Amino acid sequence: MRTENVDVAVVGGGPAGLAAAAAAREAGAENVLLIERGERLGGILNQCIHDGFGTKMLGEALTGPEYAQIFIARLSDSGVTSSLETMVLDLTPDRELTICSEDGIRRIKAGSVVLCTGCRERTRGAIRIPGTRPAGVFTAGVVQEYMNLRNILVGRKAVILGSGDIGLIMARRLTLEGVKVECVAEILPYPSGLARNIVQCLDDFDIPLYLSTTVVDIHGVDRLQGVTLAQIGPKGGVVRGTKRFIDCDTLLLSVGLIPENELAKKAGIDLSPVTTGPIVDDQFQTSVPGIFCGGNALQVHDLVDYASMESQKAGQSAATFAGAGKLPDQNIDVQPGNGIRYVVPQTLSGEEAVDFSMRVFSPGSDRYVVFRRGDKMVRRMKQTELDPAAMIRVRVRADRFKGSEGPLTVEVTD
Amino acid sequence: MNTGEIVCVVCPTSCLVHAEWDDEELVSIDRARCKLAWDYVAAEIFDPRRTVTTTVPVDAGQSPLVSVKTASPVPKGMVFDVMNDLAGVVAKAPITVGDVILKDVSGTGIDVVATMNVA
Repeated sequence: MRTENVDVAVVGGGPAGLAAAAAAREAGAENVLLIERGERLGGILNQCIHDGFGTKMLGEALTGPEYAQIFIARLSDSGVTSSLETMVLDLTPDRELTICSEDGIRRIKAGSVVLCTGCRERTRGAIRIPGTRPAGVFTAGVVQEYMNLRNILVGRKAVILGSGDIGLIMARRLTLEGVKVECVAEILPYPSGLARNIVQCLDDFDIPLYLSTTVVDIHGVDRLQGVTLAQIGPKGGVVRGTKRFIDCDTLLLSVGLIPENELAKKAGIDLSPVTTGPIVDDQFQTSVPGIFCGGNALQVHDLVDYASMESQKAGQSAATFAGAGKLPDQNIDVQPGNGIRYVVPQTLSGEEAVDFSMRVFSPGSDRYVVFRRGDKMVRRMKQTELDPAAMIRVRVRADRFKGSEGPLTVEVTD
Repeated sequence: MNTGEIVCVVCPTSCLVHAEWDDEELVSIDRARCKLAWDYVAAEIFDPRRTVTTTVPVDAGQSPLVSVKTASPVPKGMVFDVMNDLAGVVAKAPITVGDVILKDVSGTGIDVVATMNVA
């Protein structure tokens, strides 16, 4: 088998991988290889034809393909080599990748590796909906690919389960293409998607959103003929007398995303049970030295801008590591406290400013996110609205970590 | 005086803005986290508009579809007119981001432009 050496190997050519690879090259890594299994760069952005991408990073609202194009252009300017239609089959802890393409199987020895493998959609099996198994049950992202890239319409009358952003976006998209969207059902008592998508995608088209409601039965033999909806009580059971049949030929599932970390597992990387992505430090380095991670493989983002920004940092760190530069020692643990579901990164050096990302457990308003270390208040930031669907991003300057000992805790307070 | 709550959709922060307005103009807004909300809320009350994004089939291109958008937002009530006017349109490859696919869609004076490259 042929073996090649590269300074930095980036796995995945979506928004995270594009940003990581260009940043690694710009930070001085000579030989950067971007590996993408699909036939084009840009990843899921190519099927996200709606607008609203780039408001945080580029200051304008672009469509997905336009946003991707900016980063693809930057990638080719920077001199990164990309290898399309190439699958990574294996990754070892000493950063050896086995890759497969039309050219055959090759081995790549990388100075450092950035995993930007994105995420997968949760399927019907993952949420265990009873009923028959007819055609017409899809994940929302698959329907998005069929409609926006392949010109295939999947049905005429649809119900959407889950109020995640992709489900909301697809409610609008299906409506514009003449499909009747009967309703969006959400099992939680609050929406899972961003408020702007509820307004633009549902309210604009008078599509009802039923909260605390889910699909409890699927009907039809060859093709879906309808679903049974029911209200869900506070303890998670079906509320008696609330079952009703909805006639439809299509069911879209927008019920969550799972970071894709099969390669990380092969390399023996420690994963967080909460994010299901790797545990990382403030350089976005995983528990295996020289392997970094960014984007949706690390944590599921609401905004591509933040996936790009975090992966850019991961790419820069990877370039430093590959160049035998020293990364700062990481000896401060970050611990989520009251009200906080998770915080990324999970450890930090205290030597440089850190952009934290976190999510809360439940909605609230006029609360504070407080960072404490020992007796010291490190940062306190007011949040007018707290929403589990909206990732919170907070920057803390390096000097704020000094003059105190022990772990950094993050919590929600009144 | 009219009052209401409007979700600002300018950015994903999605501020729930409390607004007061009379027959002619927006009088005050509260709880917006940035100043961009003012123009959006005023437009949402007096002239709501939306950017329409969709796809158009491609003749002799490497992809079957090209993604497109209205170059600026169109009146909200005309979204389906835009979709109907685009229904018969076929674009010819090669296409570059920003190429005009349909001029002056539905008499709005606004062009529909490509948002991806198709070789």
